[in-house]
Amino acid sequence: MLFRVDAKPGRLTTWVLSWFLFGMGVTFYFWTANQRHLENPEDKVVPGLRQLVEGIGGAFLSADVEETLAADAAQEPLLKRFLTSMLWTDTVASAKRFAWAMALLIPAVLLGLHMGLFPVFGHFFLRFILFFDKIVALSVLPILFIAFGIDELSKIMLIVIGVTPTIILDTFNLTKSIPPEQVVKGFTLGAKDFGVAYLVVMKQILPRVLNSVRLNLKAIMLFLFAGEMIASQDGLAYRISLLRRHMGMNVIIPYVLWVALLLFLVDFTMRYTNRKLHPWFREV
Amino acid sequence: MELIRLSDIRVAYSVPGQVPRKVLDGLNLTIREGEFVAVCGQTGCGKSTMLRLILGAEQPTAGKVLIDGIEVTRPNRHRGYVPQKYSLFPDRTVLGNIAFGPEMEEFGILGRCTPRFLRRRREIRTEAHRLLIQMGLCESDGSKYPDQLSGGMQQRVAIAQALIMRPKILLMDEAFSALDPATRAEMQRLVRTIWATTGTTVLFVTHNIAEAIYLGSRVVVLGKETPQGSSKVLLDLDVPDAVRTPSGYPRRDELERLTQMVEGTAMGGQPELRLVEFER
Repeated sequence: MLFRVDAKPGRLTTWVLSWFLFGMGVTFYFWTANQRHLENPEDKVVPGLRQLVEGIGGAFLSADVEETLAADAAQEPLLKRFLTSMLWTDTVASAKRFAWAMALLIPAVLLGLHMGLFPVFGHFFLRFILFFDKIVALSVLPILFIAFGIDELSKIMLIVIGVTPTIILDTFNLTKSIPPEQVVKGFTLGAKDFGVAYLVVMKQILPRVLNSVRLNLKAIMLFLFAGEMIASQDGLAYRISLLRRHMGMNVIIPYVLWVALLLFLVDFTMRYTNRKLHPWFREV
Repeated sequence: MELIRLSDIRVAYSVPGQVPRKVLDGLNLTIREGEFVAVCGQTGCGKSTMLRLILGAEQPTAGKVLIDGIEVTRPNRHRGYVPQKYSLFPDRTVLGNIAFGPEMEEFGILGRCTPRFLRRRREIRTEAHRLLIQMGLCESDGSKYPDQLSGGMQQRVAIAQALIMRPKILLMDEAFSALDPATRAEMQRLVRTIWATTGTTVLFVTHNIAEAIYLGSRVVVLGKETPQGSSKVLLDLDVPDAVRTPSGYPRRDELERLTQMVEGTAMGGQPELRLVEFER
């Protein structure tokens, strides 16, 4: 069954298979934590369940990592405590930078579209973008800090340099893959150049462009985190970097899982939106 | 009245490291308004190239393509186009595909944000719906996407999409080549009926001589006089009405005779009649 192309596992088998590795991972983690805590009850490297719960509580309900849950057991509503918590303020800070980066992908997509459709545009930009794409973004980080300082602009520029060439080239290739008959059809149906660009080509490639952006979400976060860890006073990566010095694994691990959950939600939202906006698109 | 003129057309493609390959060399052809010109010839003889020149999707290396005395530079709404593949926009429903042209021509991109667009859209969609039914499709097909349709249905929609623009010229490039024989025969009768009803000038490219003779009021055969040569017009004949019965089906004997004549004169091969359906 394992190596049969025509295997058809049942629903229960499929469910068990898909959750098996998660279960194994969690089990192995807590077994390791238990072993370490038997040797050293104050071990911080692999926090146990109690330490994790304390860490999560502190992160979700406290504004500062030093505050304890007992001290925070005030009469304030949970929602208010969450909205003033360390996790939430860090999330908002990182989310703003992420939103800026996503917004800057829009001109990148438009550039790729125009490069693919208008030959003069294409010849003008293609060689440069191909070269630019090969620049390792993290290697220019010092240059960015020197040129733009250590505020938001340099962090955003890091993401731009790291991700936008890929998106531009992906969109360019998707545009080129549209059959020429479709472009000619557009003209014979009364469209002008921009009509063909936006109402014929763009509409057809948009679901694939959204998928391309989805596939680059991790890269966007990678560059965002790199910028935050090195030169930021807030944000999810900044907090992780700060807690590293205190061996605060009981907070770092929840933060890592929180980031993964957020990315999963963004990815899920994009997939759902893509399906709703483009019911005709058959994802391969 | 003369509508299309191809004057001393030369088309050559550059191949890296080789001598440019001449596809068409010194092609001259005129097409009158209202004609149904079927262009046929062997694979690679330049039929589709000639169609694309008239469409404006390609430019000749030398010579001119004139429509109504004006040189053709790019495709426009006066030339409807039905290709063999990729004839519909996959992101639009059938009704959306047919209505695309009038909506695009009247409102462009930004005009779609106006209240007037919503009013006119209803009227345009009503017209599109009428054409849909005229093409032999049913109401429920209007909300389907192209990939939910058969090949024959897709080509019907593609013809409706072109016709709603009321083009001066309808260019069909091997439009039925991918269809099964029964569907192909239906589409042949449909196109003949449309031509008879609308009087649109039609240029129909096919590699099948019998189909060309059955469909066209005039048949132009392109081909090479020598294997290494470029293509020219080998034969240009007006098709007699005797080729078709009063009900529009092909007459076997007449079709066979003409096909053999064309084959013998221009192609030197065996006649192929299996792609037309005779009256039972």
